[in-house]
Amino acid sequence: MALARHNLAQDWARLTLSVVGVALAVMLILLLSGFLSGMYIQIAAYLTNTPGSVVVAQDEVRNLLGVSSLLPLGATAAARTGGSRVIPILSQFVILDLHGKKQPVYLVGYDRKEGGGPWRLAAGAEPRTSYEVVFDRVLASRHNIALGEQVEIMDRDFTVVGLSDGTSSWMTSFVFVRKAAVERLLRVPGGTSFLLVTPPARTRPEVLRDRLSRVPGVEALLKRDMIANDAALFGKVFSAPIRLMVLIAFFVGTLVVGLVIYTATIERQREYGVLKAIGARNGLLYRTVLAQALIITGLGSLGGVALAFAAARLIMVLRPQFLVVLEPPAIGWALLSGLGMALLAALIPVRTIARLAPADVFRR
Amino acid sequence: MSEPLFVAEALTKRYGSGAAEVVAVRDVSLSVAPGEIVLIMGPSGSGKTTLLLMLGALLRPTAGKLWVRSTLVSGLPERKLPDVRLRQFGFVFQDFNLLSALSALENVAVVAELAGIGGGQARKRAAHLLGELGLGARLHFLPEKLSGGEKQRVALARALINDPAVVLADEPTANLDSKIGREIMRLLQRVAREQGRGVVIVSHDQRLKETADRVLWLEDGQFKAMVTMAVDPVCGMAVEREGAPTAEGKDQTYFFCSRGCRDEFLAERLEAVAPR
Ligand SMILES: Nc1ncnc2c1ncn2[C@@H]1O[C@H](COP(=O)(O)OP(=O)(O)OP(=O)(O)O)[C@@H](O)[C@H]1O
Ligand SMILES: [Mg+2]
Repeated sequence: MALARHNLAQDWARLTLSVVGVALAVMLILLLSGFLSGMYIQIAAYLTNTPGSVVVAQDEVRNLLGVSSLLPLGATAAARTGGSRVIPILSQFVILDLHGKKQPVYLVGYDRKEGGGPWRLAAGAEPRTSYEVVFDRVLASRHNIALGEQVEIMDRDFTVVGLSDGTSSWMTSFVFVRKAAVERLLRVPGGTSFLLVTPPARTRPEVLRDRLSRVPGVEALLKRDMIANDAALFGKVFSAPIRLMVLIAFFVGTLVVGLVIYTATIERQREYGVLKAIGARNGLLYRTVLAQALIITGLGSLGGVALAFAAARLIMVLRPQFLVVLEPPAIGWALLSGLGMALLAALIPVRTIARLAPADVFRR
Repeated sequence: MSEPLFVAEALTKRYGSGAAEVVAVRDVSLSVAPGEIVLIMGPSGSGKTTLLLMLGALLRPTAGKLWVRSTLVSGLPERKLPDVRLRQFGFVFQDFNLLSALSALENVAVVAELAGIGGGQARKRAAHLLGELGLGARLHFLPEKLSGGEKQRVALARALINDPAVVLADEPTANLDSKIGREIMRLLQRVAREQGRGVVIVSHDQRLKETADRVLWLEDGQFKAMVTMAVDPVCGMAVEREGAPTAEGKDQTYFFCSRGCRDEFLAERLEAVAPR
């Protein structure tokens, strides 16, 4: 609508500021939700990249990352019956002291011939002895740890022999050693925390899960349920504040557009009255106001998406432990929230116009 | 005279109720023929604007009827009124009221578009009309770049673009100097004479009397005879003889709108008699 365009174009500074305001709000919404998606991907990284569709844990343990698990002795053998592939791991959260800084990591003990180790190595090799460790690449670079260096894990020295990719997270990164090494560290010879089980062909994971659930002292879950439980565990902590921030960003954006549209409408109140007196219907005036709001939020949203991509890249270069994933649905939502801002922002000005009496134009 | 374009019958407007009730217009009837210019004058607060608003279907009368080209406008539901205002009336305001973000051309074209004329056609018509009003070189100027007289001509073009039956103007010359004011009046005269529209003007401006076919004096919401009126020799305003400050001349009594005008008048006369 030409009038809307002209009305906005008359005040470039205001138009620019409001577009930037919306762009920042949309960028914030996208970054926060991208950050949340990234967090979920990071949380799920280990299970996603390790083969197996059913996870067996100690009785009552329903997530990988939340609590430690120790399986009863016969569990591994029970899981293997029927020809399933079984990856046993012994894992636990530990706090490392890296050059004087405390750093929580998720320590995974695995057997090379069974699997369950790092899925992508950026450098070096997997551990061959019980004194070698593969470090998450990002964690290593943050703490200036190079291949061949010694790190202390639970009072024992390990040599960094490999750096793994895709195993970092701002909450906790993964560190891999041989299973025997963790057995020694935790003093549980032959101990196993979790089994990742792949059923033989033609056996559905649900059937396998139900069968394994009957083994005494264990809990068997589909891998995707386990991932969901991990996500819920961390989501409880992080997603509420992030959602709140998204909501705040949405309202800040709405307020920016709202204020601009409102002042632009109030300023031209008389002109809208003139149009009414001349014979313009309310609907047309509403559309004019809405078009103004849409122009601002449209430009702002597109700018916000572009800014978000740039900012996400910048964040991940500067702070690689953060994963910001801008998925098409999130972008869709951000654009939709821009539309929502426009609709909300137009609400009050539209009411102002609705209340204008055309006769008032003749009074001064 | 031919069939009237426009008939108002016993229009009454009451504002408020009870003790706060104001009868702004009382039982006023008026009919305007094609090509006729009616000037409505009267003191401040006499109900001129209220009457004009009712004539333009901008204000619903408390009682009375209004016909435009045989449509009973006062009987139409609210949702039909915008269309009547758009097609039957052209409005001209004291302070022009152009849309500040639009050029002269767009200000006029937008009103044609409201009436459903396509963008290109609307602009063509607007350009033609503005050209006729002598604004051919100002089509793409924003209102802020136009002089008062130019603005009022744009406003007049806007009022005429949808070929209205009647042009209603409230103080169209009040914000213009007298030369430009006369020019606007000449244009309004052409609108009436050449295009056969009715023109109703509300004004304090005595000079408009020359152009009008009929001058009506509104007072306390009713039309009264003009004979009780005199012209203030200082400011040119029409004043009611009764209760007005006066000064005796050689063979006539002068009436003034205020003591200020009378004092000025007396001071000037003193100076004329005894120049320093
Ligand atoms: N909306 C309203 N509510 C109540 N009273 C009103 C309203 N509008 C006008 N009036 C009253 O009606 C009377 C006529 O007002 P109106 O504006 O029509 O006079 P006018 O002749 O146009 O005056 P002026 O020459 O000062 O413009 C005045 O007494 C005014 O106070
Ligand atoms: Mg008035």
